[in-house]
Amino acid sequence: MSDFLLTQIINYGAPLFAFLLFLGALGIPIGASVLVIAAGAFSQQGILDWPLTAILGLIGAVVGDAISFGIGFYAKDWVDHRFGRSPTWRNAQKSFDSRAGLAIYLTRFLITALAVPTNLIAGGSGIKFRRFMAYDSFGEFTWIILYGGLGYLFGSQWELVSDFISNFGGLILGLVILGVGIWLGFRRKRSLENENVNEKIPET
Amino acid sequence: MDNSIDPRQRNFVIGLIIIGLMIIGFFGLRTARAFRQFHGHRPPPPFATEHVETDVSLIRDWMTIPFISRMYHVPAPVLFNALEIPEHGNKEKSLKQLNEEYYPQGEGVVLEKIKTTVLANQPQQIEANPDTPIVPATSTP
Repeated sequence: MSDFLLTQIINYGAPLFAFLLFLGALGIPIGASVLVIAAGAFSQQGILDWPLTAILGLIGAVVGDAISFGIGFYAKDWVDHRFGRSPTWRNAQKSFDSRAGLAIYLTRFLITALAVPTNLIAGGSGIKFRRFMAYDSFGEFTWIILYGGLGYLFGSQWELVSDFISNFGGLILGLVILGVGIWLGFRRKRSLENENVNEKIPET
Repeated sequence: MDNSIDPRQRNFVIGLIIIGLMIIGFFGLRTARAFRQFHGHRPPPPFATEHVETDVSLIRDWMTIPFISRMYHVPAPVLFNALEIPEHGNKEKSLKQLNEEYYPQGEGVVLEKIKTTVLANQPQQIEANPDTPIVPATSTP
């Protein structure tokens, strides 16, 4: 699929690139990071106009993110009805709210596999749309400049960069999952220890 | 009061750790391999707009003829002539599509023909190394 899309970006340029980033932000698996690196390389080769491509791409990605935030927002009632009474869900929501900005920013370019779930959770949480958009735009800007810049720098050798970055993103995802697992394990252990200590204190 | 860990929670945590380790192992190996390949290459000089690509191994079957023409500075008509196909109506097709349409009997024929034609028609790039001293030519009587 990625090869077909690369051919079409060569043929139809920045507007198609923006549309593809829009679809990627909605969760359609098109390999958006690969396309951003390739677009950077195509700009270096004179196929695409880099300022126009970067601006349209940014708009496409941000609009897609706003829509997936909206889906999360409108699904909030259903989610609250389904999970709202669960203390685990409430704790998870509280935990997300306190780190939402960082989560939104980092999932735009570092842990891109979690970008759409983060949008949906953000929409369903109490985060203001303006706050979401601020972190989201900054994160997408970083993504396009960083990945597109690497593609621009390496030009025709962009596939080497793309291969490295795709796998590195997977590695970071694995580290995040492992980290969450260890953190949950420790937290659970600590709360059990606290409960045991409280039980041992004799009642006066 | 029962303070033992809820088996569902315990399994969830163990599952997360196992999945995390599996993903780290899988992508870690791939990242290391990609890094070795990536590390051996240097990007071309920045803003080298005059840089002409010469490595034909970088040609892929998703590329179009006009794209390859621009990348390697070989005129598009030369490439279309080499494939013996008309330019009209084929400019937006990838090498893979051209292969399927005009050479359905052989896989990769178009890609190989294009690589050979580009190699044969590339403009000569003479790169002078500024560190290399230029020895004046001596003439013998």
